[in-house]
Amino acid sequence: MPSAPLEPVRTLTDAPRTAEASLSGRQTAPTPPTAPAAVAPVDHRHTHRPTHRRRRRLVQALTGYAFLAPSLIGVGLFLVVPVIAAVVISFQDWDLISPATWVGWDNYVEVLRSPQVRNSLLVTIAFTVMVIPTQTGLGLFCAVLLHKKLPGSTFFRIVFAIPWICAPLTLGIVWKWIFAPTDGALNALLGVRIEWLSSLTLALPAVAAVNVWTHVGYVTLFFLAGLAAVPQDLQNAARLDGASETRLFWAVTVPLLRPTTFFVLATGIIGTFQAFDSIYAMTGGGPGVPGRTDVLAARIYYDAFESLDMGRAATLSVLLMILLVVLTVAQQRYFRRRITYDLS
Amino acid sequence: MKQPRQRRLRSRLSTASIYAVLVAGAALTLAPFLLSAMTSLKSARQLAHEPSLALPDPVTLDSFRSLFSEHSFLTPLAVTAQVTLVVLVVQLTCSILAAYAFARLTFPGRDLLFWVYLATMMIPQVATLVPLYSIMVSAGLRNTFWGIVLPTLLGSPYAVFLLREYFRGIPEDIVSAARIDGCGPVRVLRYVVLPMSRPIIATLAVITIVAQWNNFLWPRVITSGEQWQVLTVATAALQSQFNGNWTLVTAATTIALLPLIVLYLLCQRQIVSSISLTGFK
Repeated sequence: MPSAPLEPVRTLTDAPRTAEASLSGRQTAPTPPTAPAAVAPVDHRHTHRPTHRRRRRLVQALTGYAFLAPSLIGVGLFLVVPVIAAVVISFQDWDLISPATWVGWDNYVEVLRSPQVRNSLLVTIAFTVMVIPTQTGLGLFCAVLLHKKLPGSTFFRIVFAIPWICAPLTLGIVWKWIFAPTDGALNALLGVRIEWLSSLTLALPAVAAVNVWTHVGYVTLFFLAGLAAVPQDLQNAARLDGASETRLFWAVTVPLLRPTTFFVLATGIIGTFQAFDSIYAMTGGGPGVPGRTDVLAARIYYDAFESLDMGRAATLSVLLMILLVVLTVAQQRYFRRRITYDLS
Repeated sequence: MKQPRQRRLRSRLSTASIYAVLVAGAALTLAPFLLSAMTSLKSARQLAHEPSLALPDPVTLDSFRSLFSEHSFLTPLAVTAQVTLVVLVVQLTCSILAAYAFARLTFPGRDLLFWVYLATMMIPQVATLVPLYSIMVSAGLRNTFWGIVLPTLLGSPYAVFLLREYFRGIPEDIVSAARIDGCGPVRVLRYVVLPMSRPIIATLAVITIVAQWNNFLWPRVITSGEQWQVLTVATAALQSQFNGNWTLVTAATTIALLPLIVLYLLCQRQIVSSISLTGFK
């Protein structure tokens, strides 16, 4: 009795779970790479001379601090101190010229009430909503096509990722020309006269499209790595059970890609919340007042270096930082709970 | 049961449609690069009088010539190369030393400090813009070379994190064998750990080059005028000054993009392997 083809559904739903179980077993198996036991033989010879051992430990600690010092100074001065300084400036009124004055929570009240900031938050969210699902879906689609390993797949993989290594600012300028109303490439191609970047309705989708175009190849690379890690025997088992390729994809491959998908989504969202360069190049936050592409990062930049309102810019910086830290921590907690099999 | 011939036909059709999608995707990816490069080869006259998709006729390097002679585009090219090189060498050295300390040496406070490094990886660049600017201005470093490079010169928590993971994976036996033979930490690092870590160092080098070459916001804020303009800032300035002069602007973007695209094509293996390094672990 060929029992397997009669019960494809049960086997398919069970497959990912059993895989996770067996693979998670494998993950805990290897011993940690830094086994302290390996250092022991050196120490062992000196056990009857405690002063010698203490000196050795002191020398190692000093070496550690010496090795760490340059990097620690950099991280301290240019990452930790600025975060503290941002909080301090956010409680001040400061225009870079006259001395700063202490204003308490005024900046926070002002920022949270400001329609301009609300606009920037909404624009950033709308931008993220347009970019993330599109680039993730397209990236997965391209990865599935490339994973079939047809001749020439490597070529396409290389080509798709080209925009990702280019400067977003420079790409923004290239696209500003492509979108240009009279002598741009897009209107010439379509035979129309559309003001893409100065239209109140089209500017944000246009800017979002460029961001998708920039990142699809990058997302594809992640999904290709994810697909390569999907155990082949599971797919073969599902095939033997008579699953169609479509069924195989949705019931086996997609669930197994969950860690990749969440990583791509989380880092993508964190990235789009900071998007600036290409938007600055294409629209400068405009068109309209308040600007239809005036994302949060752009608001910080213009508040600080055009309105010279450092206090307000610092307040927005602090709020953006809190938002992104919450996003990152949430993502990592989710990961710790969900990743059940080793992808390395 | 389907006829084998019919099935072969179907699989051929699906292969053809996959290639059609891939070719369309590649065309869409490459079109902006090719079209802008094509425009940079046109004369200003042709740009004004002919459709924008017309092939350059005659092909002319006038825009590039004017870019380098009248608009001194060589300066930003040199500044960017200088910034990238200095940051690459210093940052990588500092990160390797720090990562080795975190991975292989024991000292009080090590785990706490590493936790701080991990936490700083969450800080978005744009959020430190205002305080960093005020710090640099009060240090008198506005519009200087050191003003551009200092924030990323010494420490990259990200590089330290990746290197530490890699160093920890090197078998302890090899390291302690070298120690028993009388190697101090510097020589262990130089002769044992570094030669075994070439892949990660190559990958990090490429990541650093790309990040520095493409950096815009910080150099834009901390420099003014042409003396210390980097490529991205110079291209943006050119575009806003000569808006509509697309032959000149596309010549600038082509020059700005070309070095990295060439680097990518040469080192794409390292770059792609950075995906599996940064993605999971």
